[in-house]
Amino acid sequence: MTKRLLARIIHRLQLRESWIIFFILGIIMMTFPFMNIFNKPVMLFGFPLMFLYLTIGWAFSIFIIYIFMRSFSSLNQNGDENKD
Amino acid sequence: MNTGIVYAASISALYTALIFLIAWYAHYRKETGRSIVSNPVVYSLSIAVYCTSWTFYGSVGKASTTGIDFLMIYLGPSLAAFTWLFLLRRIIKISKDNNITSIADFISLRYGKSLWLGALVTIIAILGIMPYIALQIKAVSHSFYMVSGMRAENIQLTTLGSDVKLPAGLILAIILSIFSIIFGARRLQSSERHEGLIAAVAFESLIKLVSLIGVGIFVTYYLFDGFTDIFARFKAMDPAAFNRLFTFDASGSNPEYIPTFTMLFLSMGAIMLLPRQFHVMVIENSDERHVSTAMWLFPVYLFLINIFVMPIALGGILTTGSNNGADFFVLSLPLVTGHNEVALLAFLGGLSAAAGMVMVESVAISTMLLNHIFMPVIVRFTPRIWFPLLLINLKRFGIFLVVMLGFFYNQAVGDTYMLVNMGLISFSAAAQFLPAMLGGLYWRRGNKSGAIGGILSGFVIWFYTLLLPSFSKSGWLPTELLTEGPFGVELLKPTALFGLSGMDLWSQSLFWSMLFNISTYIICSIMLQQTDKEREQVAKFIAIFERTRSQRHTEEKRLSKPVTTSQFVALMTKFIGGAEAQNAFNQYAGNREINQEGTISEFDLPNLKRHVEKTLAGSVGAAAAGAIVDSFLSDMGSRMESVYDIYSTVRTSLDQSRESLFVRLKASEIINRTLDLQIIMDDLLVLLLTEFKLEIAIIQLKNEDGSYSVTSYQGANRKPINENHWYSECEPYFDMVYHDSEAHFTNDARLASSSLPLDLTLAEDIISFAHIPISREGEQAIGILSVYSKSIAGLFTKEFITLLTSLSGQLAQAITIVREMHEKDLERDQKEQALLQNARVLRDMEIAQQIQVSLLPDCAPDLFGIDLAGKCVSAAHVGGDYYDFFKRNENTVDVLIADVSGHSVGAALIMSEVRTLLRAQVNSAHSASAILNILNSQLHDDLTRAELFITMFYAKYNSASGRLSYSNAGHNHPIIHRTGSNTCIELDTEGLILGVKTSVVFEERSIELVSGDVLLFYTDGLTESFNASGEMFGNSRVCAQLGTVAHLSAEEIIDSIYDAVIDFTGSKKFQDDISLVLLKIL
Repeated sequence: MTKRLLARIIHRLQLRESWIIFFILGIIMMTFPFMNIFNKPVMLFGFPLMFLYLTIGWAFSIFIIYIFMRSFSSLNQNGDENKD
Repeated sequence: MNTGIVYAASISALYTALIFLIAWYAHYRKETGRSIVSNPVVYSLSIAVYCTSWTFYGSVGKASTTGIDFLMIYLGPSLAAFTWLFLLRRIIKISKDNNITSIADFISLRYGKSLWLGALVTIIAILGIMPYIALQIKAVSHSFYMVSGMRAENIQLTTLGSDVKLPAGLILAIILSIFSIIFGARRLQSSERHEGLIAAVAFESLIKLVSLIGVGIFVTYYLFDGFTDIFARFKAMDPAAFNRLFTFDASGSNPEYIPTFTMLFLSMGAIMLLPRQFHVMVIENSDERHVSTAMWLFPVYLFLINIFVMPIALGGILTTGSNNGADFFVLSLPLVTGHNEVALLAFLGGLSAAAGMVMVESVAISTMLLNHIFMPVIVRFTPRIWFPLLLINLKRFGIFLVVMLGFFYNQAVGDTYMLVNMGLISFSAAAQFLPAMLGGLYWRRGNKSGAIGGILSGFVIWFYTLLLPSFSKSGWLPTELLTEGPFGVELLKPTALFGLSGMDLWSQSLFWSMLFNISTYIICSIMLQQTDKEREQVAKFIAIFERTRSQRHTEEKRLSKPVTTSQFVALMTKFIGGAEAQNAFNQYAGNREINQEGTISEFDLPNLKRHVEKTLAGSVGAAAAGAIVDSFLSDMGSRMESVYDIYSTVRTSLDQSRESLFVRLKASEIINRTLDLQIIMDDLLVLLLTEFKLEIAIIQLKNEDGSYSVTSYQGANRKPINENHWYSECEPYFDMVYHDSEAHFTNDARLASSSLPLDLTLAEDIISFAHIPISREGEQAIGILSVYSKSIAGLFTKEFITLLTSLSGQLAQAITIVREMHEKDLERDQKEQALLQNARVLRDMEIAQQIQVSLLPDCAPDLFGIDLAGKCVSAAHVGGDYYDFFKRNENTVDVLIADVSGHSVGAALIMSEVRTLLRAQVNSAHSASAILNILNSQLHDDLTRAELFITMFYAKYNSASGRLSYSNAGHNHPIIHRTGSNTCIELDTEGLILGVKTSVVFEERSIELVSGDVLLFYTDGLTESFNASGEMFGNSRVCAQLGTVAHLSAEEIIDSIYDAVIDFTGSKKFQDDISLVLLKIL
């Protein structure tokens, strides 16, 4: 149910365009301004802030790829392929 | 604390045996067709060869010295995985299409199979990878010391009798080389996947993951109390270090610190461009679809393997008190806490990480070395039968060389750098391929000179700013180079090139090398032209997915001299062995038509050549394969040459179709403009001569007798057409064209002259010619279009022949139409003539009829006591019936009725002769029989000549006596109807028809007629009229009719008889002439 919902949301997002946007977003998150926000020696829930940011951000990006690949493959199965 | 050398060595050996077993099993499964390697999980694990001892040991070291920025090395590839969706899939598709064997092969293929580029990429890869392999050797030998407890650098071998000291690193290097050779260089074909190798690598990836997580859990949850416990204790112990490790240093105070962006960029490039990454991701990929899974599974792997790095690093500092020897915390932590099993697990993990990397890397590099360094030299020699053996051993040597280079670098530089920083030197080298690679895939203009220039300049900068300083730091080169610059020129100091100070080594090197690399690539690409070879590749690389959609492909090359298929097979045999060569050829021949002699059509030859190149490329790389085939062709006296562009404009397929449309349009204009065939043919030939590079064009058409003759002849220097004309030399071609209705051509007459005497033609400087049948689709040829070129060999391409054939088809259509129209005209003329003729005859006949009618008496003579009438209705225009009356005196009248056989004009003429003769007898007083006698004798000759005869009934009636005397010459018997009688009397006498015998006796009889008698003379047309059921009118009907109308006047009776006949037959048209004469006695 949730998977179908997610797949539908991503379908709405115009796969290819949002794919590129997520990629660029990932790079932006890894560069100076964003990094600077978390570049503080503080602890959050007993974890260093930067450690938490990078770990969660990383896990999230992997999750994004996973969701995208799932909906890509379901698209491919439906026949309207959208690959390069 | 240690485990002892024997224990460590035996565990290592056991582990090695396990790896072998797995590799062997994978290989066995592949041979039996049930691959365990071809699945996305194994693919993802094999990509994890990215995680080497650097990850296993170095990450912890980095984490405990500069902090969390070690993650950048893994975040980069994780981000780069986003691009795999289009980038990696594209690279894989291109590589599979072209049998790519390595990244050097890939780049050199894109830039026109450049040998130089391949060699350059290979050299960079070898030099660049040197520190990386050194890193592995350093890590493994160091970890071995730690686990085994050895303190010496060397292993003493006393068993050999004398004391030989061997560095442990060397032994390791040799073992790793042998490993790699067994897995990676069993066979020559490098584009083939090494399933055993990949299975081993994937298994090792699994081991190193389990191992590092195991150590992580051990440290985090056994030695300490979870993540937060470690973080809290560390912060309490050293807040300054905590701040340093968990923030990024923007101040630049730490010389070891490398900006996050540099690491992110280098790692993003490395994941695709390192030779071993390219090898496992592209060459060893078994299914494009595996990429989709690897895109998330590989980042998951990276995530998992790194999650415990920070705790281990902090735990190490907490346990040992400092970050000295942090590179080996993974191993030393279990050791110092006395957990040898965990340490052994960690050691196996590290060994796996190193071994996997070295195996794949050395196999990948040795392939490049063989294909791009050795091969270009080897192809200069004539191929020999032992070549395959030489090649495979060269490849094995390459593996050995690569590992040994790493070993020596380690010996030289090993201790001066941290593991990670050594690895980054390699990453920087791999990054030099990035511009040429991406540009090659997405930028059409990118060319060979740009790629060579860019890579070379980037490489030089890398060498100068990274590799040299590494030697220099370790004391191999004078340190003044680093502190004062070469020759004291400060501006050229490798660590602060062009005065760019304040940057770390890696960022500085990356900045300068990328700046020079990218700008050289772009500038050269824009300024210089691509060669034909490159352009051909550009289409393959950039339009790879488009190309599969539209299969349209135009051949732009031809072989100047045809080469047979067996020659190609022989060539392949020399490099890949007989069986594989035959296989490769069969694969090509599979669905093509190849005749018994093993020759294939000229248009198929370039395809075969490409196939041979592709096959060879699988073993020796594309660049070398191209060179091999080229040198083979030049030995054969043949070469690839550009197909002449028949339109003398741009040579691209799309434009060609437009140009060809124009010619076709012009041709139809010419054909539709006129119906004069001569003008059509002449104009068409002139069109061909002006539009194409042709000198002479001839049209021959087939004559009705099967011979052919020249009907149109255009071109310069025309010679009179006779049997001595040079074109008759091509007669065998003409026969072939007529025979199979297909175009026959010769792209180089000088070559064809060996099989056919073409001396006269060659004397005319004709180089190439084509003969195209003039025929409609599927029909026999009605002529031949011959075109000759004096300037261009290889003018006749498939497209051109198709175009010419199509034009000939148009011409054939026109000729057929014109000829048909011609025939129709002729037929119509004939019909008109016939009609005219007919009309004339008809008119003559009408005149004849009028004359004939006028010959018959207008009206019957008046004679007292009788009523006489006569009438003739002819069936044809002119007929042979005749009747007449002659009034002899006041009482006597002669009545005669005659029938000349036939209805011809001849009959009519005879009839008029009869009339003339009779008229001459009018005044003589001859009896009826006498008159018949006279007529017979006089007409006999004429009748015999005309093959006619006459029946005639002649009667004389004397009204005074009432007697009718009569004689008959074979005519129908007249009928007499008497009042009150139901029957009729027939007048019958003996007598032969006229014109049979010269002397005939005609009997004469007489009968007395009484008042009321109606005497009817008639011709056979009356009684022989028949109705629809074939019934004759007959005498009885005539008699009955006479009975009913006897009271009427003679004329009325005649008319009524005609009506009765019409009633009877049901037709207004009589079948035969009917003449009636009626004599009524009043």
